[in-house]
Amino acid sequence: MTVAIRATDLVKSYTPGSRALDGVSLEVASGEVLVVMGPSGSGKSTLIRTFNGLEKLDGGELDVLGVRLDAAHEERPVCEIRRRVGMVFQQFNLFPHLSILDNITLAPVKVQKRPKVQAEQRAIELLDQMGIREQAHKFPAQLSGGQQQRVAIARALALDPEVMLFDEPTSALDPERVKEVLDAMRQLARDGMTMVVVTHELGFAREVADRVMFMDQGQVVETSDPASFFTNAREERSRRFLSQMV
Amino acid sequence: MNRWLNRSVTLVLTALIGWGVWSVLHWLLLAADWQVVVSNLPLYVVGSYPVDQRWRPLLWMIALVVLIGFTLLGPRRGPLQRWLPLIWLAMAPLGLWLVAGGMMLEPVSTRDWGGFTLTLLLTFGSGLLALPIGVLLALGRRSRLPVLRLSSTAYIELMRAVPLIAVLFFGQLLIPLFLPPGLEINRVLRAVLAFAFFAAAYIAEDVRGGLQAIPPTQREAAAVLGLSEWQSLQLVVLPQALRIALPSLTNQAVGLLQNTSLMAILGLVELLGISRSLLANPVFIGRFLEVYLWLAAVYWLACTAMALLARHLELRLDPLRSDR
Repeated sequence: MTVAIRATDLVKSYTPGSRALDGVSLEVASGEVLVVMGPSGSGKSTLIRTFNGLEKLDGGELDVLGVRLDAAHEERPVCEIRRRVGMVFQQFNLFPHLSILDNITLAPVKVQKRPKVQAEQRAIELLDQMGIREQAHKFPAQLSGGQQQRVAIARALALDPEVMLFDEPTSALDPERVKEVLDAMRQLARDGMTMVVVTHELGFAREVADRVMFMDQGQVVETSDPASFFTNAREERSRRFLSQMV
Repeated sequence: MNRWLNRSVTLVLTALIGWGVWSVLHWLLLAADWQVVVSNLPLYVVGSYPVDQRWRPLLWMIALVVLIGFTLLGPRRGPLQRWLPLIWLAMAPLGLWLVAGGMMLEPVSTRDWGGFTLTLLLTFGSGLLALPIGVLLALGRRSRLPVLRLSSTAYIELMRAVPLIAVLFFGQLLIPLFLPPGLEINRVLRAVLAFAFFAAAYIAEDVRGGLQAIPPTQREAAAVLGLSEWQSLQLVVLPQALRIALPSLTNQAVGLLQNTSLMAILGLVELLGISRSLLANPVFIGRFLEVYLWLAAVYWLACTAMALLARHLELRLDPLRSDR
């Protein structure tokens, strides 16, 4: 079992005196699906944003796919990581001035220097896989939230990432649109993608996660397999959180 | 009671408007002497440009009119449409070459440039120069580097605090004093530079407004896809920001066109300048009204064409409305 992400004692502080991340350590194995849960403000979004350098560390050390990252936050390792790690945001963050197809092919063509035709073929394949092939020539504003989020997933996959990070991918969606996005993620997990997912979707966590990590106030409260986490959480704090979720 | 009041007001207004329209028409068609406009049409267009070379500025202007017509009324798709932006950009060097000469054409000194040709050249030249400077200033003002940010801000605030006419005076009268003897920058070029540096400050603020409207999440999305900061700016942020800034940029362009008339005070014989020298001719003495109405019509036409083109561009760039 190879380790995809290893975090040691991560510290992140936005304002002096309060810590968004307060000594977080974890390991994600290659091919594993880790679901991160916790109340808002618990640091879970901050945590996965450190994995690809969107947040600078104030302390601790990261090893993502063999690339080391620490508080010095040099540019080169961050670029290297971003090339191999995909990310999906809560608000989709598609580029509104580009068509769906151009959204997906932008990075393959401009960053990986792939031929345009080849990138477009791959984009169509991915859209097909996401079940929205017919939207290829529309613009983001013409799509529903669920469709936009699936485009965002396709856009990240177009770079053939080894790890995918999801930051509350369904939190901005209408309830009836959540399933289509979760289905796409489920398929991805089944294909063996290494995934770190911040989500409030209990069903998804129970069914897809290999492990569930519960965070509160910048610290890891517990990490368990989903079966025991949902039926018999070890910590009082986790049980209180779960009891309020249902 | 009220009804009668309404009726009488309507009647009085109709009579007033009717009288106004009739007297304007009467003056336009009967009282006015349009000789001053009609017999000098070539002068308004090209100024004192050598007569045997007049076809050159005329050719440029015809090309412009054709291009405007094609852009506004031509088919929305087609092989030429893709090249339209480049063709538009090429119009400035083309105009410069046709008017100035050189490279197979007989050179014509800027002293002989004039009329509407010069107005358009000043507008085109300074606009094309001001846009990139303005974008750079806007980016500079939002830069993380303090030196860059402060100097951009200082430049913008300084330029906006100085009246345009002062900047033009500076360009025309003071710059030659500072230059070493023997080195001389051409008068028209000095005007273009002064206009460009002035307009750039305003353009920078318009572009900054556009940049501020782009949420930081767009840059994040570009960054996690591996795009460099420069690529993110060029492919993601600027295209959106410029689209948002477009209506204000149109404003600047229209203002620029009208402000070129200030150069008449400083001795360039552009459209207003040539008109003033025509009015100084004893043959046309006292024909102010005709000349200035004619000027108003020409400026109005040019500004309307610009406004229509800008509107067209806005629609083309709106992904939801253009059927690409």
